[in-house]
Amino acid sequence: MDRWDKMKIIDKENFIFPNIIDYKKDYLKSETKLPEGVVLEKITKGINEIIFDYLNTKEFQGVGEKFTSLAEESYNSGIIFYIPKDVKVESPIKIEFDMDEENPVVINQNIIVAEKGSEGTIIMDYTSSEKVGAFHNGLTKIYAKENSIINIIKVQRMNDISHNFDSNIAIVKGQGQVNWISIELGSGISSSNYSNFLEAEASEANLSSIYLGDGKRKIDLEYSMIHKGPRSISNIETKGVLMDHAKKVFKGNLDFKKGARLSKGIEEEYVILLDPTVKSDSIPALLCHEDDVEGEHAASAGQINENKLFYLMSRGLEEREAKKLIVEASFRPIIDRIPYEIYRNIVVDEVERRLMDGKN
Amino acid sequence: MERRKTYIEDVDRGIYDIKNKFTYRYKSDKGLTPEIIIEISKEKDEPKWMTDFRLKSLEIYSSKPVPTWGADLSGLDMDNIITYVRPDADMGDSWDDVPEDIKKTFELLGIPQAERESLAGVGAQYDSEIVYHNIKQELVDQGVIYTDMETALHQYEDIVREHFMQLIPPNDHKFAALHGAVWSGGSFVYVPEGVNVDIPLQSYFRLNAPGAGQFEHTLIIVEKGANLHFIEGCSAPQYRVTNLHAGCVELYVRENARLRYSTIENWSRNMYNLNTKRAIVDKNGTIEWISGSFGSKVTMLYPMSILKGEGAKSEFTGVTFASTGQYLDTGTKVVHAAPHTISSINSKSISKNGGHAFYRGLLKVTPDAYGCKSTVSCESLMLDNESASDTVPVIKLDNDNIDIGHEAKIGRISDEAIFYLMSRGINEEEAKAMIVRGFVEPITKELPLEYAVELNNLINIELEGSIG
Repeated sequence: MDRWDKMKIIDKENFIFPNIIDYKKDYLKSETKLPEGVVLEKITKGINEIIFDYLNTKEFQGVGEKFTSLAEESYNSGIIFYIPKDVKVESPIKIEFDMDEENPVVINQNIIVAEKGSEGTIIMDYTSSEKVGAFHNGLTKIYAKENSIINIIKVQRMNDISHNFDSNIAIVKGQGQVNWISIELGSGISSSNYSNFLEAEASEANLSSIYLGDGKRKIDLEYSMIHKGPRSISNIETKGVLMDHAKKVFKGNLDFKKGARLSKGIEEEYVILLDPTVKSDSIPALLCHEDDVEGEHAASAGQINENKLFYLMSRGLEEREAKKLIVEASFRPIIDRIPYEIYRNIVVDEVERRLMDGKN
Repeated sequence: MERRKTYIEDVDRGIYDIKNKFTYRYKSDKGLTPEIIIEISKEKDEPKWMTDFRLKSLEIYSSKPVPTWGADLSGLDMDNIITYVRPDADMGDSWDDVPEDIKKTFELLGIPQAERESLAGVGAQYDSEIVYHNIKQELVDQGVIYTDMETALHQYEDIVREHFMQLIPPNDHKFAALHGAVWSGGSFVYVPEGVNVDIPLQSYFRLNAPGAGQFEHTLIIVEKGANLHFIEGCSAPQYRVTNLHAGCVELYVRENARLRYSTIENWSRNMYNLNTKRAIVDKNGTIEWISGSFGSKVTMLYPMSILKGEGAKSEFTGVTFASTGQYLDTGTKVVHAAPHTISSINSKSISKNGGHAFYRGLLKVTPDAYGCKSTVSCESLMLDNESASDTVPVIKLDNDNIDIGHEAKIGRISDEAIFYLMSRGINEEEAKAMIVRGFVEPITKELPLEYAVELNNLINIELEGSIG
């Protein structure tokens, strides 16, 4: 889509990829036995072009064609997760990438197919060891068929000399549901794109995300909900905090195509700004080619509410402590949606550490 | 149903669609060359700096590409737009001196009557030249200047030279450059310090020549503590060839001054309306934009407020109504460039019968502009599913001490609301028209009475027999 004002904080066109080397560590951790018929394996070369051709959609740009084609052609990791009809995979599939000196590059392609009436949950965690300038470029494709539910949680907490590019696409069929939780805490440069195609009657996609920008971090987020089917539903809820010299661009696209009768879409972005040196840009776009829909978007930006701060400080909390509490309160509803305590704690601790270490 | 709708639209445009025989005293050839520019400038007896300015602008125009980010402008054949048409009349300050057919057109549009009843001054532009300009004597005595740009260029050359195309330089975009090269007509208003002009001034622009362009330049300076309401109206009859409107409006609002700029634009449906409007506001000054976009084939219009002084304020209230074959790309831009500046944006758009309404806006806060407040609200109403409505507000914040809120909504008229009104004995079409009128009410209540009535009439007729 041609934009009036293309806001760029990351020069993607001129970004130079590092040398692509193998990722030798084990990243697929499945603790329990999987139900019969479920396929869960590491991706091997050449497999997806044949089987998952239908996941290619021309409307999908991801974070940039250069990045998505790198992930499609030169991946060094990734999974294939297939859930047969009516099968519910109870335990979450855990995928953990911990980039270190020997394995600083992750280029992964993940393909998730949920047959009719099936259900599954995936957690993907990206970390990098201290002082390693890691590079992650990912492409996750989800195909959720009729009445299926896919929950996917992405936690990105790589160090601030790392680069993160992540493209995600979901194609959701009738009454299918894809629920994303995106926790963006790390990487010096981070660009992520989530595109959801609600293809049929009552397709649903929900996206909850938090981001924390401190230091000189650059964050580029683009979330799209493309309503094609009637009665399709989408929700975007984003909460962010920016401090120090952090820069952020948020683009939220709520796109009602012709035929998306009686669809509903809500898009919200709230950002708390803690320092005068931050930059926060937003384009919450609402595109509509169908009259009988309900679309809403809201955005707000500003400092921490003074009354809240004053109240907490009058109760004996220090300013920094009080601010931390207010930020946490804003993040908490989204963090609480992560279904596993261990990850909830990881995220809470990380947020706390960063807020307390910073000059705020 | 479809047939009836067309019928009504034709009747509706009645008074706008009266075509006069195309008589003119001077007409430049089609297309653009430096020779034509020099000729226009000579014909207008302009100072040399203006001729040079025009030539420089033409150079910029030729070097800039046609913008591709918004509307499809491929239907615009620049080589066939006649840039300068001088009507067969001299400018007068007595209505009786205006030639009969031109006078008749404006009378049908209600211009002189409005002047008698509720306006402090009126200017009327027919094709490229102002044909009538008048202002109440008591305002003249207070030092208020209200005249056409050509006269201003000769009589107030220093002021014009200091401000002309400083806010909108020709290298801003292709059509600003075109304007710089071929501008003609428009109004010049100067309100001295402390003068309160309590009744509105109005300029009306009418384009009669087929395949012509209108490039009027409006320059308004409201000095410290002064107050002005300026109204701009536009219309043109329907011809088969495309017409182009690429005017410029430059507004200077000084300390503690207040300017309200209202526009009701009802160009015919073959018009490319590529107007540029910009205001710069000093300390504690206020700019208020009231903007109604109803006509034209394609509109790309984003009035911009630059809040340069501490405590400056801007308010934008806009309504856009896009129907068959129309692509109306409108919005507003606000730059908070000083501390404690305040802006509010309230935009409503309606699209029906295949019309495409597009809200495109920019809200920018510079690093030093702490303590700013802004609210943005965009609402869109779709009356059928052949139409389209898009909202793309860009928000750029470069400091933390601000309070920004943005909201947008899109939808159709709710069945419950229609059902309720119908249960009260109102028929369906009237119920829908009532709801639409309620939707645009925040705009209509800001307009002077006769404009509010005109707007309501427009909405009535536009809707009748066309939805359901």
